[in-house]
Amino acid sequence: MPKVKTNRVKYPEGWELIEPTLRELDAKMREAETDSHDGKRKCETLWPIFKVSHQRSRYVYDLYYRREEISKELYEFCLDQGYADRSLIAKWKKSGYERLCCLRCIQPRDHNYGTTCVCRVPKHLREEKVVECVHCGCQGCASGD
Amino acid sequence: MAHRILRDHEADGWERSDFPIICESCLGDNPYVRMTKANYDKECKICTRPFTVFRWRPGRDARYKKTEICQTCCKLKNVCQVCLLDLEYGLPVQVRDTALNISTHDSIPKSDVNREYFAEEHDRKARAGLDYESSFGKMRPNDTILKLQRTTPYYKRNRAHVCSFFIRGECTRGAECPYRHEMPETGELSQQNIKDRYYGVNDPVAMKLLGKAGEMGTLESPDDESIKTLYVGGLNSRILEQDIRDQFYAHGEIESIRILADKACAFVTYTSREGAEKAAQELSNRLVINGQRLKLTWGRPKPDQDGANQQGGVAHSGLLPRAVISQQHNQPPPMQQYYMHPPPANQDKPYYPSMDPQRMGAVISTQEAGGSSTENNGASSSSYMMPPHQSYPPPPYGYMPSPYQQQYPPNHHHQPSPMQHYAPPPAAYPYPQQPGPGSRPAPSPTAVSAISPDSAPAGSGAPSGSSQQAPDVSTATGSSQ
Repeated sequence: MPKVKTNRVKYPEGWELIEPTLRELDAKMREAETDSHDGKRKCETLWPIFKVSHQRSRYVYDLYYRREEISKELYEFCLDQGYADRSLIAKWKKSGYERLCCLRCIQPRDHNYGTTCVCRVPKHLREEKVVECVHCGCQGCASGD
Repeated sequence: MAHRILRDHEADGWERSDFPIICESCLGDNPYVRMTKANYDKECKICTRPFTVFRWRPGRDARYKKTEICQTCCKLKNVCQVCLLDLEYGLPVQVRDTALNISTHDSIPKSDVNREYFAEEHDRKARAGLDYESSFGKMRPNDTILKLQRTTPYYKRNRAHVCSFFIRGECTRGAECPYRHEMPETGELSQQNIKDRYYGVNDPVAMKLLGKAGEMGTLESPDDESIKTLYVGGLNSRILEQDIRDQFYAHGEIESIRILADKACAFVTYTSREGAEKAAQELSNRLVINGQRLKLTWGRPKPDQDGANQQGGVAHSGLLPRAVISQQHNQPPPMQQYYMHPPPANQDKPYYPSMDPQRMGAVISTQEAGGSSTENNGASSSSYMMPPHQSYPPPPYGYMPSPYQQQYPPNHHHQPSPMQHYAPPPAAYPYPQQPGPGSRPAPSPTAVSAISPDSAPAGSGAPSGSSQQAPDVSTATGSSQ
């Protein structure tokens, strides 16, 4: 048989420190995926997915950019393996989007009148104070509040 | 059904439009409205053909509204595309049709292919520019419908729907629930059907409204048989007494018409009760003068006969001015007093001579002999009770407030004559005279100058030359001398 290339994961150093948390978050995601939909609205069933995804990406982003506890290599490894969302982190690096909830909420094509989601509006500028956005259940991700 | 697949949206049969045909209430109170337009998004609730759906939010506290029926259906009945109420009057189709006695009912087929065919034909004709029978433009509004119509927009219908989870007690959304957390209205009115409402058949709201309209028309006669006065409300400055007379004379002999301009109302008294009743019946919901719709009801008698006409007081005769009411306190009133709606609080305004019938020439027999008419006292009539609304009692002539004093002292000995200008001598009271000289400074100097050369013969000849009220003057001057 010809040699088949397999991709075997080679964990960089420092991985042991972050692995438990990442495994935990993975388990949480699995739980969100397999939850039943009873008692929830149709859009509400997806909210935990977005929440966990945000949480995971946030963890990796914090480690590298804020706390600087992992190396670039490890960081890139996490992004490649799918433990964090690269494009979401790319948004977090921009000013005004530091707390962005998900990528759907800033996509004008997804909204009527080509706007962004209501969760992006700062609370002091909104009329309804309590709001859960329909995409990800976010209650306000503007950088101000 | 026989719907065609959209191959070419320019082709006949499928509706396109640029702006919805909607009423003011449905459009909302916000002048800025963002609207989405979706071609062929939904099917019309009546004719089930695809049409352009517009969706917008009519105001800040409103839910999103969208057009429910197509423009063809809406034009056939002249209704709003969203609420299916008439565009001009805001009334349900059934009410408008009954009130105006029109019936588009039968001409529109209601079933199946018939209906689609009719709608398409209509649409095609409209697009071809043929001016079909758009009879709604030619309707003359009649009284009933003008009374029933909605004049201001009604935004309550734009509120969010009631939260169905809340009704069951299960709403877990709490504060962020966009639906109303109230119990729904139950009863007859809550079972409405869009097709019934559109065709004007069996519409509970319409029935209710028509029921109310039926009762509204009748104006009951009051129990008190002696009331012969009708109250006319909603006057404006363009309506003259002659206009009122023209409207009312046909029903009976008019005894008097009194207009109160500051209250925008009038009282029409007939000599006979039958005349008044006839007028009430004929004109009750139909009174329009010079394009102004007027309210007509029976005049109401005053509840108490004592000096209830106090300041800011309640009851006041619609027929008789206050001065004469006070006179009538002295005699048993031969007829009843009437209410004014609302009573004028007249303390600060000058008391116009034209409000006093005596100054306008009416003769009141009991007062002449008792007329005060002393030299200094001619102004204050002791036999007259002070009209109660006045804020200060009439001072004797000499105590007139100073602004007027320089006019009076020179007139003082010509007193009878200037008095003629400002008050009939027997019934004179100084208060009316105060604004008199204030408001008519011009006449008084001329009067003075006219009188002064005549003063030598002690004014007896002068009055005849300068006065306008001949009969009383001579007696006054006679008694004052």
